[in-house]
Amino acid sequence: MASAPSKLYSDDVSLVVVLLDANPFFWAAGAGGGNHPAATLPFAKFLDHVIPFLNSLLLMNQLNQVVLIATGINTCGYIYDSGNGGPEGSDNVSEISSEILLRLEEFVCKDRKIGKGTERAMGGSVSSLLSGSLSLALCYVQKVFRSGAIHPQPRILCLQASPDGPEQYVAVMNAIFSAQRSMVPIDSCVVGVQHSAFLQQASYITGGIYLKPPQLDGLFQYLAAVFATDLQSRNFLQLPKPAGVDFRASCFCHKKTIDMGYVCSVCLSIFCQHQRKCSTCGSEFNQAPREPNSASDTIRKA
Amino acid sequence: MPQVRIVAKNFMDMVAVLPAMKLDKLYESTFICEAVLRSLPPLAKKYALQMLFIESPVIAKSFEEWVLPDGFSKHRVAIERLLQLRVFLETNDRKKETSYTMNPKFQSNMRKYLVQGGTLPREPMSLGVTVRLPTLEDLEAYAHKQWECFLLQLINSAQAQRLTNFSSSMIRVFQRGLLSSRENEAPRLTENGFQFLLMDTNAQLWYIIREYITTSEDRGIEPTDLISFLLELSFHSLGEAYNMNSLTEVQCKAIKDLADLGVVKLQQGRKESWFIPTKLASNLSISLSDSSSRRQGFVVVETNFRMYAYSTSKLHSEILRLFSRIEYQLPNLIVAAITKESLYTAFENGITADQIISFLQQNAHPRIVERVPTVPENVTDQIRLWETDRNRVEMIPSHIYEDFPSKEVFEGAADFAREVGGLLWEDSNKMRLIVRGELHQQMRDFLRRSK
Repeated sequence: MASAPSKLYSDDVSLVVVLLDANPFFWAAGAGGGNHPAATLPFAKFLDHVIPFLNSLLLMNQLNQVVLIATGINTCGYIYDSGNGGPEGSDNVSEISSEILLRLEEFVCKDRKIGKGTERAMGGSVSSLLSGSLSLALCYVQKVFRSGAIHPQPRILCLQASPDGPEQYVAVMNAIFSAQRSMVPIDSCVVGVQHSAFLQQASYITGGIYLKPPQLDGLFQYLAAVFATDLQSRNFLQLPKPAGVDFRASCFCHKKTIDMGYVCSVCLSIFCQHQRKCSTCGSEFNQAPREPNSASDTIRKA
Repeated sequence: MPQVRIVAKNFMDMVAVLPAMKLDKLYESTFICEAVLRSLPPLAKKYALQMLFIESPVIAKSFEEWVLPDGFSKHRVAIERLLQLRVFLETNDRKKETSYTMNPKFQSNMRKYLVQGGTLPREPMSLGVTVRLPTLEDLEAYAHKQWECFLLQLINSAQAQRLTNFSSSMIRVFQRGLLSSRENEAPRLTENGFQFLLMDTNAQLWYIIREYITTSEDRGIEPTDLISFLLELSFHSLGEAYNMNSLTEVQCKAIKDLADLGVVKLQQGRKESWFIPTKLASNLSISLSDSSSRRQGFVVVETNFRMYAYSTSKLHSEILRLFSRIEYQLPNLIVAAITKESLYTAFENGITADQIISFLQQNAHPRIVERVPTVPENVTDQIRLWETDRNRVEMIPSHIYEDFPSKEVFEGAADFAREVGGLLWEDSNKMRLIVRGELHQQMRDFLRRSK
């Protein structure tokens, strides 16, 4: 009987930072029923899938660590960290879920309070602060990297529901590149209406998995079969690949998602209109404006 | 480096060889399911998780479709392990297609665990009953002391002052393989014994527990009961008190032995008694590759071959004595020198240079752990050189031939020996030859013929 040598497997220990989209506008939109994803999968049900998934990550290896970060619309915050909860070995499942629910409630209240001052447009299309929670996650990972010689393999999982906020383009891209530099894959599971261009790019650049589950009532199965796979096992498995990646960028001047635009030849900043001077690096463009279609420095939709 | 013969294998290898009936019985406990799941190779864990909510059989092909060509060996290992531990059950349908279903007991237990969590058969006792529980540090110190005491007794050291309650027959069982006990001779540590001492605590504990379980049948205890109890124990909260009333008779007996090993601490209240699991207990189900429980090191080695060990432990001084000369012993410091003589005795006892070096590296004092290399290069090189020194002499069994009747016979014999490639030494003046032992028969035949 050939049993696996245990030495080879010592590096399946993972640290998973889960970014949970807690955008009230999105989750409330399902209340009216219809085709909205939040109607088939209300927030409570969504959590019923996510919390057992977190438990199962902790179950797989006693050294695994799970950090849950909630993404609100005005703020984001740590909800749960398995690393500092109680003494080792006592990972009581019911305590974990009640702690998560309690902290989430506190978070949503806090998020609303902060938002009071600056009323934003109502409706179903308010985006969550993805850039903020991505940065929080990366900070956490950096802290883990620096804390000692032996650390688990980190990865980030975005459970994104609300649409992208084009105004966060620069911040999100910066976070993605910093994740790429520190070799942290960003997995994304989109449960929202449309595909997320940000997360497609994030997973593409960092080597993570992007998936938009077609059937939301089986979310746990998607999470368990795809996103629970540790980084080492990914080398041996064929995991879902995106059919196409939306590489469109947002312009720096009006934060609009554009197919074509002007690019500063010095710092590669993107603009939707011709500028006299680059707002990022200050280079002066003295050429007369041309039609965007014929401009030499245009970006194309990939 | 010679293979370490004492391999403290995983608990699960022991579980895996259990007959199906017993295995299925074990899976009635959620905690055993959890421990089994954690012991699986990563890919197998993933498969198990994937199957958790699927009741109908899944054909083997649909698993294989996920696997990249590189990963096929891993895939096979994973599936084999799952079947071996009866987490997956194999069925063949009429079309001869293999499909797998998950062990229903395992499946339902794990599902329950993910949603509701597991409950131990016993609750921690309330603080009202148990006065003055030891702090975690105290507990760790206790476990440490107990374990050390046990080890000292195991190696029959004169340093062991307090004996554990293990019967001498039990101790003898543990010593089997570690000590050689020839008649009329003081027992001496064997090569394996030394290697055992240089292993980390977890691995040592494993070795002992394994011996304990495999010999349990002789003591009239069902090994399955012991295994399930030990696994269960590893999920008890560290430092909490659990009532002894909740234990069965077998478990009660086992827990006393475990207390001697430092796995649990027993305490007696006015009416009731209870046990408190220590860190050693929670490490029981951890596979050996995870050395998360590594203790802080204590050894500093200087380039002048002097070694400072900041330790109060007698066991440490015993271990250091295996390969170095202890010079001074202060209450918290042992000063020793690595000398050629001390190393030679170590080598004679079967310890290898690599073992010594890895011991020094693993137990390096926190102050020098950051340094590269942790142990000065000249010291490691010298240790290795001294080891190869011993191998300077090569032993070849051979025969000496002398008193040849004439010079011709001698030369003929020498030529013949040279031809067959067995001549080791010749002295033509005194007419003596030394030839490899395995050629003796041929030499004899030759000499007989030439007579």
